Amino acid sequence: MKMFSASHKTAFVVDHCHYMAESCRQQVEFDMLTKNRAQGVIPLAPVSKSLWTCAVECSMEYCRILYDIYPTRKLVNYIVSDSDCHILNSWNQVDQNTQELMARLAVVGPPNPSEDPECCSILHGLVAAVGSLCKLTEYQHEARTTLMDQAERVNNRGRIICLTNAKSDTHVRMLEDYVQETILEQNKIAAASDRLMQIQQCELVLIHTYPFGEETLVSDRPRKEISSVLSSEVHSVRAGRHLASKLNVLVQQHFDLASTTITNIPMKPTLNVCDQEEQHANTSANYDVELLHHRDAHMEFIKSGDLHPTGSTPRDSGLKETVTLKWCTPRTNSVELHFCTGAYRISPVDVNSRPSSCLTNFLLNGRSVLLEQPRKSGSKVISHMLSSHGGEIFLHVLNCTRSTLEDPPSISEGCGGRVTDYRITDFGEFMRENRLTPFPEAQGADGAGKVPLERAKGQLERHTRYWPMIISQTTIFNMQAVVPLANLIVKESLSEEDVLTCQKTVYNLVDMERKNDPLPISTVGTRGKGPKRDEQYRIMWNELETLVRTHVGSSERHQRVLDCVLACRSKPPEEEERKKRGRKREDREDKAEKNGKDSEAERSWQESERLKAALEREKDDLPESEVIKDSPDSPEPLNKKPRLEMEELQLPEKAKGPVSLFTMWTNRINAANSRKHQEFAGRINSVNNKAELYQHLKDENGMDSHENGKATR
Amino acid sequence: MPTVVMMDVSLSMTRPVVVESSEEFQRKNLAIHGLTMLFEHMATNYRLEFTALLAFSSLWELMVPFTRDYNTLQEALNNLEDYDKTCLEAALQGVSNVVQQEWGSGCPCQVVLVTDGSLGIGRGSLRHSLQTIKQRGEDKKFPLPFLFPSKLYVMCIASAEELQYGDALENLEQLLNLNGGEGQIFTMEGPLCLKNVQSMFGKLIDQAYSPFHAVLRCGNLSSDVQVFPRPEPIQLDEEVDPTPRTILTELEIVGFIEIGDISSPPVLSRHLVLPIAVNKDVDELGTGAPDEMEEDSSSTQMAGKSPNFCVLLHGSLKVEGMVALVQLGPDWFGILYSQADSKKKSNLMMSLLEPGSEPLPWLGKISQLGPTSDAAENPYGEDDSKSPFPLQPKNKRSYAQNVTVWIKPSGLQTDVQKILRNARKLPEKTQTFYKELNRLRKAALAFGFWELLKGVADLLERECTLLPDTAHPDAAFQLSHAAQQLKLASTGDSQYAAFQHNITPMLTDFSGGAGDRDRL
Repeated sequence: MKMFSASHKTAFVVDHCHYMAESCRQQVEFDMLTKNRAQGVIPLAPVSKSLWTCAVECSMEYCRILYDIYPTRKLVNYIVSDSDCHILNSWNQVDQNTQELMARLAVVGPPNPSEDPECCSILHGLVAAVGSLCKLTEYQHEARTTLMDQAERVNNRGRIICLTNAKSDTHVRMLEDYVQETILEQNKIAAASDRLMQIQQCELVLIHTYPFGEETLVSDRPRKEISSVLSSEVHSVRAGRHLASKLNVLVQQHFDLASTTITNIPMKPTLNVCDQEEQHANTSANYDVELLHHRDAHMEFIKSGDLHPTGSTPRDSGLKETVTLKWCTPRTNSVELHFCTGAYRISPVDVNSRPSSCLTNFLLNGRSVLLEQPRKSGSKVISHMLSSHGGEIFLHVLNCTRSTLEDPPSISEGCGGRVTDYRITDFGEFMRENRLTPFPEAQGADGAGKVPLERAKGQLERHTRYWPMIISQTTIFNMQAVVPLANLIVKESLSEEDVLTCQKTVYNLVDMERKNDPLPISTVGTRGKGPKRDEQYRIMWNELETLVRTHVGSSERHQRVLDCVLACRSKPPEEEERKKRGRKREDREDKAEKNGKDSEAERSWQESERLKAALEREKDDLPESEVIKDSPDSPEPLNKKPRLEMEELQLPEKAKGPVSLFTMWTNRINAANSRKHQEFAGRINSVNNKAELYQHLKDENGMDSHENGKATR
Repeated sequence: MPTVVMMDVSLSMTRPVVVESSEEFQRKNLAIHGLTMLFEHMATNYRLEFTALLAFSSLWELMVPFTRDYNTLQEALNNLEDYDKTCLEAALQGVSNVVQQEWGSGCPCQVVLVTDGSLGIGRGSLRHSLQTIKQRGEDKKFPLPFLFPSKLYVMCIASAEELQYGDALENLEQLLNLNGGEGQIFTMEGPLCLKNVQSMFGKLIDQAYSPFHAVLRCGNLSSDVQVFPRPEPIQLDEEVDPTPRTILTELEIVGFIEIGDISSPPVLSRHLVLPIAVNKDVDELGTGAPDEMEEDSSSTQMAGKSPNFCVLLHGSLKVEGMVALVQLGPDWFGILYSQADSKKKSNLMMSLLEPGSEPLPWLGKISQLGPTSDAAENPYGEDDSKSPFPLQPKNKRSYAQNVTVWIKPSGLQTDVQKILRNARKLPEKTQTFYKELNRLRKAALAFGFWELLKGVADLLERECTLLPDTAHPDAAFQLSHAAQQLKLASTGDSQYAAFQHNITPMLTDFSGGAGDRDRL
């Protein structure tokens, strides 16, 4: 349904003239005989509703269903007409509920039979209704404001439902003509006003209602175009239940509703006291409850042509049909994400009947019910689900056809699927910390002027500035001791107390280092027993520095945490020297990356940080050279390669500046190899590290680097 | 989005194509060449697509039911025989049946019709079908528009000029209009030859089968992904917002929600989110040792071993039972979650929610969702026992607020009897008695049903006379007080008939304390 279709605005005009005080001549027994009643008491005479009472309660029922299914965006303006018009509410969303309308109807009261018949007319109400339709609703106003220069896209259509007691077909025609003229008149006024809109389309639904047993003076007439703006239809119905079922049919037509009957609802025989007086209470039976909802919930039936046979039965009215779905007793309250193609609000047809309230209360208590679609073939298909969300019940449409996404590749077969040490639990914790929660609108405006969602994005950004994805990539996140700092440093702002906690964490680490406590350094991918203890601490400190550094721009207190880390971490002097050099290189890299995206710069920075750590480790490893176990000539299987390629890098002795990785590698291999064999005589005697081989052959040369192994392969 | 390929195998498809080169082609050969190209593309770039092959002339036959096995499709394509004349309507009906049987009526499908543009003559021709389209009963309706959402691509193995010569192009355009304009007609540009048929199918591939690549981000963590099936643009309200919405190629996670809180939301469509290795990532891995790259068996194996954010996200979503809320565009969101196909296999799935600021009433406005840490008190509770969801609507629905409906007599009778039943248990049930009495009073006043107020007053007075000797003396006082109040209300006197006014229990020596009376 389009947002601004005729159903956006419904004006109810209810006749409040003296003739509406007439009885509808359908009597209601209210003094019913019940059990343990004294014998011989004569019941009180039944009561009878007036035409007015019938009109009001049926129109309120129309509104009840409407508001249940469309709590917003479908608006009602309720107008009562006698010697003047009484507009009971406005188009404003706050006015759209039955309680308000009931209160205002109570003020109006029943028609006054002694009022002067001459000044009473439904016309007052119709004029007011046309006037109301010209008024902007909040939604129209908002849409026009948003669209600005394309405001003409916002249409103004509406519907007038007039409940009256007309005198004849001629009288009806007179009413239609009057509405037509009024629209033309009001449209002229609206054209000249910014606050009003011309009516582009108006559907007039005239309902003539008359007492039971009388002959109707007005004939039914289907919808007819009176003019390009106005269409009109006439319904002539007896008051009481006939009027009620007519309005029930109309509300379904006007708002694209359909009916579903839930069948086989088991009700426990142990009902509370209420059932004692329930006249037709056969408690052991299974109940049926009829619900109304948007008809799209039946789309699959409508399209497949399954709507008519077995699954549906014609209702009382004979005009509308209902689809029958079978209750499936719910299993335990498992939390499951169903593939659901639609969810539509429902409204029970018989809202306060026992079966209806039993069903709705069951659902409101948080249980969900799956519904089964009876099929011609006898096969069973779960096609719908009833479930409540925050006091509203929805009919969910479940997908019951073959999925086009069946048999998808498993995530473990794709990129990153072979990695086994993801920090799944840590990321789960991260997700829980980044759960969303609703904030009231007013509150959203404050706090740096950002809407809550933007703040949520900001938090995600802060929390992921340094977030290694796998366990073997991190040390600090595997350490319980770092947790307090890691949790605090990501905060947007730190309190003095937070800084203190961070500092304590750092001191604690210093303490650990002094005591030489072991660190949970991953040995995955490293050969041998891994780095030495003091080297482990260097890695840890580097990583911690990296983490804190990413947040240093947040505030001065963040900076203080970094200062603390820098001050406490142990660094031999010559290392400091190298650090500086390393940073220079970093700067250069950073500059190169600046052209790319920020995150890439971030990553490269992390990369170089890792490189730095690796370089430092290499220095320690070098004299022992225990890392290299394989013979230089055996091919290196990739699987066993350490994750960090740079770990194997060697620092060139007395580096005078940036050295290519290739050179580092070559030098390192050379150094390692040289210790494993006796040097060739040729090389020992070489000039400039070059010796002529096979000098006797003369025709071959250039094999000098043969022994360098795979570096030149 | 499954595909049905409709291949015209009528005799006219065997017409030879005049080519200067030595080899002689039929139009059918060109068509097969084009489709082969399409199948090859799908097999490599779109391999999760289900495709069916249907051949038609005056009859139709489903050569290959929906499959992802493109070899089978190719084989069937190569073994097509030639038949009689073209009858498109029957074949379209066939497509409609085949698709609905397999996927139901809600699943969007692409229909690729390959024809030479001679659409039959006389009965059964497209011209005849379109001429008689308005004179049909319900049972013989023209199959277009299809009951399922669809795109119809017509691949003409003919040039536009050739088609314009007759009314073929006009008829095909009408066909497209019948389908709500969803689809496109492709014609050959230049002479009929392999090269031009390739370029025509190339256009189709660009249009309909180009994979959707995006970057999935969560703060600074990210992964390149392919979203399958490709999300198609959607239109909301053609009046207010006629431009279709498309999803961004930058998918940003904005936060996380428990599965129980999001609770089976209605979705527009579901898509697999498959992490992909983009070349630059491989390069980055290889920077240190370019030589070794050559030694590596394959780059995919490499990609499998470098950590990917999608895998991490999927794993945690699965373990925690949560979904990630992801922004697809302005005021448009989706959810990411782990979807298990079987016990072993699961994958990262994305569902698109209805565009708009408030796609799910129980979450409220998405823009108003913020980080938990901003709340004064953890809305999930310190031990995760609470949840801020679902949001409660401003007004309760009718079924949640004990409304009064007297349209059926039983409704009214039940309400009266509730009062009577409590009346007999006075004074114990004083509170409930007055609560029910006031509920009835309010409804009667709103409905202008004053007669009922009088009736119930009479009823209470009679109950008063019927009270047994053993009854508590307070009962009689309360009953006559209530009856009197109802009578006063039924006069419409503004003092007693005010809607907000409630009848309160009479304070008697038996009911209220002495202190109460003193105050009076």
